[in-house]
Amino acid sequence: MTLTTPQRRTPGRRAPGQPRLDPHERERLERAFSVPRARFLVGVPIALALLVWSSVGAEFNVAKLGEGAANMGEFLSRMFPPTWDELDVIVDLLIETLQMAIVGTVLGAGLSLVVAFGAASNIAPRWLYYPTRWVMNVIRSLPDLVFALMFVSAVGLGPFAGILAMTVGSVGSIGKVFAEAMEAVDRGPVTAMQAVGASRRQVVQYGVLPQAGPMLVSYTLLLFEGNVRGATILGMVGAGGIGLELTTAMKMYDYGHLSAIVICIIVLVTAIDQASAVIRRKIT
Amino acid sequence: MTTTSPAPAARQAPPDDGAALPLVTVRGLQVAYGDGPLVLDGVDLDLHPGETVALLGASGSGKSTLMRSLTGFAPVNAGTVRVAGYDLTNLRRGDLRRLRASVGQVFQQFNLVGRLSVLTNVLTGALHSAGPVNLAGGFSAAHRRQALDLLDRVGIAHKATEQARSLSGGQQQRVAIARALMQQPRLLLADEPVASLDPKMSHAVLELLQQIAHEDGIPVLVSLHVLPLALEHSDRVVGLRHGQVLVSDRTDRLDAVALDAVYADLDNGDDDGDDEGTEEGAR
Repeated sequence: MTLTTPQRRTPGRRAPGQPRLDPHERERLERAFSVPRARFLVGVPIALALLVWSSVGAEFNVAKLGEGAANMGEFLSRMFPPTWDELDVIVDLLIETLQMAIVGTVLGAGLSLVVAFGAASNIAPRWLYYPTRWVMNVIRSLPDLVFALMFVSAVGLGPFAGILAMTVGSVGSIGKVFAEAMEAVDRGPVTAMQAVGASRRQVVQYGVLPQAGPMLVSYTLLLFEGNVRGATILGMVGAGGIGLELTTAMKMYDYGHLSAIVICIIVLVTAIDQASAVIRRKIT
Repeated sequence: MTTTSPAPAARQAPPDDGAALPLVTVRGLQVAYGDGPLVLDGVDLDLHPGETVALLGASGSGKSTLMRSLTGFAPVNAGTVRVAGYDLTNLRRGDLRRLRASVGQVFQQFNLVGRLSVLTNVLTGALHSAGPVNLAGGFSAAHRRQALDLLDRVGIAHKATEQARSLSGGQQQRVAIARALMQQPRLLLADEPVASLDPKMSHAVLELLQQIAHEDGIPVLVSLHVLPLALEHSDRVVGLRHGQVLVSDRTDRLDAVALDAVYADLDNGDDDGDDEGTEEGAR
């Protein structure tokens, strides 16, 4: 065997009987600039091909965006100045949107927590784990708008339908995240709880939830932020909130009013984001 | 199957061999995880009330598995394991919980819930007797008094309201010992309890464990890596090698040559990691 490097000529002391590193692998690891592995050389072209295929299929075109920049500017210019004549209507609808989001988040988070117990592999028995995950996958694959239409037809137009849509939609997304937060807890305290003879419920109460708590609260705040934005969309199908007013303003080409609505939504979402950040800092 | 719990052991000095009935009796224990090789192969062990036994051996020698097999966390493939009147080879689920409730355990990484207060961490040691009332998270005043007394005993009562994660390693291990004592254990197992601590803290923690064994009259089994610590803080030493007991004798009459054999593999560089088997297949 030809020895090419001083390191290989004088290998480190190795105890007899110790399993040794494959010489080829060692040679590869010693190189300052290592040759990429075969899976990398194959994976990158495949990923690029997938990106090109997707861009073509989705008609992604930067040149077209550049050509349309003038129209976009014209659209934005029409939105200014905003008209604040109907500020009271906007505020009322924003409050309704906020109320929808609060109720939808509380119900959604509560239901998601219950479902997450069944979807966490370190808590749920196998017979419950797989069906729960499957139900969550089905819910997650349906857009909230579909739920909104379903509930509008069930309970009529208005925010109640929107709240129900948010609640059910949350189970698919946040339920999964909750379950994964519970699965990610440090196993040590859980073992300690089992070692003191705690029941399964006690292990969850004292071993899992206190550890997952900050993550659960953080995701709930994220759900709330999402629900505030989501409530503006749900309104478009008559499920309450400011969405219907937003859609109407767009259809009526009432750009000043549209601008005022958008500014109010931005202010609300920013305020909620800041408040959430403060709460997150406090709990972690 | 014996499920009756014998009366708590009386206070007594460290026994000479056979001076008291053993609380733990292990005979011909064989343990393997799944289809893997035997981690323990024909282990015999007796633990008497009031004695501190140091379990020595290189990583992978089976120390942790032996500890786990005493609380049903490792499968028993052959042999018998009797702990505090329970036969672990033939145990129902309810009995397993009762057994675990009567065996205090201290872990290398303390295994405290960092966000909970020191007091609550200690109180979790009483979960088995807390009943459904504590669904809302409350423990009885009697339990709280007991927990505070134990924190006093381990010298850390002034930290009762602090989050466990804010404590130093040595302090956290004391909290873990208080949690184990909260169980009113009949046996205390400490799996490398000082591996993460500095020498001064190591001595303090081991001294505390030995003191508990003597004062409460319960056997304490401590696995250790450092021989001088074992010699100073134990009444008896059990040395494992490749899942078999090589040495088992009182500390004051230990055969140094036999003890050397326990770590013979280390000299040959055959230290192949911890015996951290999976708990799959364990109860």
